[in-house]
Amino acid sequence: MLFSGRRDGNHEEKTMTQPTRFSAATLLGGAVVALAIVIGVIAWLSIDPSGEQGSGLPESFDYSLESYQKIDPALIHYVQKTTIPLDMHEPRAVAVGLGDRIFAAGDKAIHIFDSDGKKLEHIALEQEPYCLAVAGVERLAADTRLYVGMKDHVEVYDGKGRRLRVWNRPSARAVLTSIAVTDMDVFVADAGSPVVWRYDFDGNVLGRIGRRDREREIPGFIVPSPYFDLAMAPDGLLRVVNPGMHRIEAYTVDGHLELFWGRPGMGIETFCGCCNPANIAILDDGRVVTAEKGIPRVKVYRATGEFESVVVGPETLARHSSATVETRDEHRLCPVDLAVDRRSRILVLDSAADCVRVYEHQ
Amino acid sequence: MAEKNQKLNRRAFVGDALRVAGAVGIVGTTAALAVRKKPSGKLVWQLDPNKCIACGNCATYCVLDESAVKCVHSFAMCGYCDLCTGYFRPEPISLDSGAENQLCPTGAIRRAFIEDPYYEYTIDQQLCIGCGKCVKGCSAFGNGSLYLQVQQDRCKNCNECAIAAACPSQAFCRVPLENPYLLKTQEQQG
Repeated sequence: MLFSGRRDGNHEEKTMTQPTRFSAATLLGGAVVALAIVIGVIAWLSIDPSGEQGSGLPESFDYSLESYQKIDPALIHYVQKTTIPLDMHEPRAVAVGLGDRIFAAGDKAIHIFDSDGKKLEHIALEQEPYCLAVAGVERLAADTRLYVGMKDHVEVYDGKGRRLRVWNRPSARAVLTSIAVTDMDVFVADAGSPVVWRYDFDGNVLGRIGRRDREREIPGFIVPSPYFDLAMAPDGLLRVVNPGMHRIEAYTVDGHLELFWGRPGMGIETFCGCCNPANIAILDDGRVVTAEKGIPRVKVYRATGEFESVVVGPETLARHSSATVETRDEHRLCPVDLAVDRRSRILVLDSAADCVRVYEHQ
Repeated sequence: MAEKNQKLNRRAFVGDALRVAGAVGIVGTTAALAVRKKPSGKLVWQLDPNKCIACGNCATYCVLDESAVKCVHSFAMCGYCDLCTGYFRPEPISLDSGAENQLCPTGAIRRAFIEDPYYEYTIDQQLCIGCGKCVKGCSAFGNGSLYLQVQQDRCKNCNECAIAAACPSQAFCRVPLENPYLLKTQEQQG
């Protein structure tokens, strides 16, 4: 029994009231509130503010190269014999010189190893080297010449590490990426121009190779990124990569385009991505060793351009990559540099692993 | 007498001219300092492309129906390749703008012929949802000229950015309103 009081004059009147019943509206309101609370709890539990459940985008938004990175083991004809640790922060180039000595350039220095990987010497440089070539007569160290490509010019050192010459930069846009030395000339690949400069041993420019020329049916080099390599082949033709056209071109020393081969594609026998191959080396029998970026792999082609075998693939070269597809510039893998020695061993400069991997044919 | 008056007039003129010049200088300097923009101290959200892993969360975690994060293009870094891996899927049927060849699920990238053999690629921000798929394609093989940025004309500058909270690589940061973008440059390419 409830009582309500009301003052009326000098006395209060107390009256008795009936107990209150929940009206339909109240029940409905309560149900709505309860439902809202349940929905809110479910929503709170389903929302993932941390992002750990992923973007939730459908599969069409996925990007993966995993299927292209798998290599048939039957195609791998080379085995890694040894690795040579470099202890460098940023190794950039590898070359082979007298007596199969191994020269690795980076960190403003050139490290010299014997053919078994034992460190011999260290040559300090004033600037960061971009590319390197070694020339000279065996066992005559005094005739050894190291042609070191800095960013925009070439410096020449002797076997003792003394700088002999500093060549003028060939152009204002020069970015030197590769050097090849023959008995007569020095050829320098310039990714900034992009052409191949032909020099004499005094550093005088004798000519340009690969400049676009419709009359001579030379399309010109397409070099979207600073990976532009060349090598002299046993047949006397200079092999130069044309990454944007996914092919390797062969030029005479006078600049005539004699032949070319290569095609784009994600398959093992083609050159992947937008611009490959990045680097090459030539074996004594004329076979061409190629290195690609994006899907890091080293392959061997016959001198006529037919695919032959794989040296090493992403399982090894991308081992240190933290992601299948890396978007952060500082973490992206640089394409490996290549060199070959007289024993037809293939040297692969793996900058991510800070070592030179030495491969021999199985 | 006339000559003396003339000298006095010249002296007065020079003196007046100097006083006027000084006054103009003071007033002008004061005005320039007043007009110059002072840092407001206000901060906005931005995405550091050097930390972004293009996970796709930008497309779905923004509080807006259409994410404020869009893809942008550093033309100075671009190679203008015929076969652009940010534009084409890994194995296109042909190198044309057919939808079946394009990498972008929303068709937000435009391909335009420049001169043989170069093509220009531009982003249609009306169609871009900031998923970052093209960023991956470009970074995998190319120069990384495509990357994501928060568009300040769309962003609500939430006190606590939902995308920042969901970013697995902590790529979101606060930057001054006066310099709201973290742009890639060709110098960074090395």
